[in-house]
Amino acid sequence: MAVPAHHIIAEPPPFEQPPYPGDIFDRRTVLVTGGGSGMGLAMGIAFAQGGASVGVMGRSIERAKEGAAKIAALGVPVHAASCDVRDPDQVATAFDAIEKVLGPVSLLANNAGANFPVLTENMSINAWNAVTRIAIDGTFLCSAEFARRREAAGEGGAIVNNSAQYIWTGFPGDAHSAAAKTAQATMTRKLAQDWAPLGIRVNAVAAGFFPHESSTNGNDPEAIAPLQNMIPAGRTGKTHEFGWLSALLCSPLMDGVTGQVILQDGGESLRRSLMMPDFVPPREREDGPWGWK
Amino acid sequence: MTGWLEGKAVRVIGSDPALADALAKAGATIVTDDTADCLVHVARAEQTRLAHHLSYDEWRGAIAAGLDSRFEAAKAFNGAKRKAGSGGAILFIGSPEQQAGAEQAAAAGALGNLTKSLAVEWARDGVRVNTVLTNDGGPALGAMAAYLLSDYAAYVTGAVMGIGVDD
Repeated sequence: MAVPAHHIIAEPPPFEQPPYPGDIFDRRTVLVTGGGSGMGLAMGIAFAQGGASVGVMGRSIERAKEGAAKIAALGVPVHAASCDVRDPDQVATAFDAIEKVLGPVSLLANNAGANFPVLTENMSINAWNAVTRIAIDGTFLCSAEFARRREAAGEGGAIVNNSAQYIWTGFPGDAHSAAAKTAQATMTRKLAQDWAPLGIRVNAVAAGFFPHESSTNGNDPEAIAPLQNMIPAGRTGKTHEFGWLSALLCSPLMDGVTGQVILQDGGESLRRSLMMPDFVPPREREDGPWGWK
Repeated sequence: MTGWLEGKAVRVIGSDPALADALAKAGATIVTDDTADCLVHVARAEQTRLAHHLSYDEWRGAIAAGLDSRFEAAKAFNGAKRKAGSGGAILFIGSPEQQAGAEQAAAAGALGNLTKSLAVEWARDGVRVNTVLTNDGGPALGAMAAYLLSDYAAYVTGAVMGIGVDD
């Protein structure tokens, strides 16, 4: 059902009006993990709108290069590097490759992630490992590599983590991602404390549903149209408003903000009523509407 | 100067000159009536004494300042926005939940879940509701407040957060 016409929907400014000047990240290099597409690409684009050089890291070098090319179209230096964030040696090598071309990385966006709905009873150990280790180990390895380099340089920096709106509720039918994304958020708070003396700020965005070309239902208007009225805000998120918040948290405009996990989901995770549709166990809805079979 | 609040009228309830100044520098016009596009309600914890040393009047006064007055202000603001048919934004600012007395723990906890409830109740009025609980009173709070009130935070509602690692 469409959002009734008398409801008021809050909209962000258009893409062409970012919340910071075009030189706010001048002479800064950001490394975006999983930056070739989707939310990571939105982050890279947002940093580029502020003038940052953008290193795009991805498991698939082809996809990383595709994303880097889109970011380069905004007129900033870019470099794509292949990396599996679960492998500490690959992480160090990718940092080296990006720093060789773009200079020291002083901003880090941990976005790399994998997610697919699956019942836990059907979840292989490989599936569990893939989702949890990319987000948990990957965030640890990239953040620690970043911090070591920042400490050696005697300079601070900023990290933003892409968490999720379901970290406070769990996500039945998506238990691996629920665990992984919550670890990112709790790490955010702890790393912010630990690295405050190093001048490194760490924040996270607990993002809701921002349709993009590689999300489960893509950004096909027909597929996402029914979702708009389900969300209290009356719409799904726009990737540029997510990218902006992520970049903004790493900007000097937010100096002093650290250890925060900011919910950006249009109220989606907060919906609740005393009377709700009958409970259907995930096992019995996997082939229903919004199931995954 | 970010311009994030250009064209917006902001009402600040509670004394916080530095915050009002930061919002004005972000482009806001500070007003004192219901014509505001945004409402900021500031109430910080004032005492840290143990609960069994508080009189009932002291307890009640703290809850009234940290919770009840916010409910009343928010309800009036939303009523005005609905009547005007325009959206808006509400921001509650207070002290961290566990860094003062039991009265603050109670008020802040209640405020957090009030924030989340109002965010959904008023979402389709185009009215967003967020809370920052912090001891920070500097530029970082000013910047975050300006962002949360601005259209750049159009998809941020029901968020309860701090500013620094001690919040």
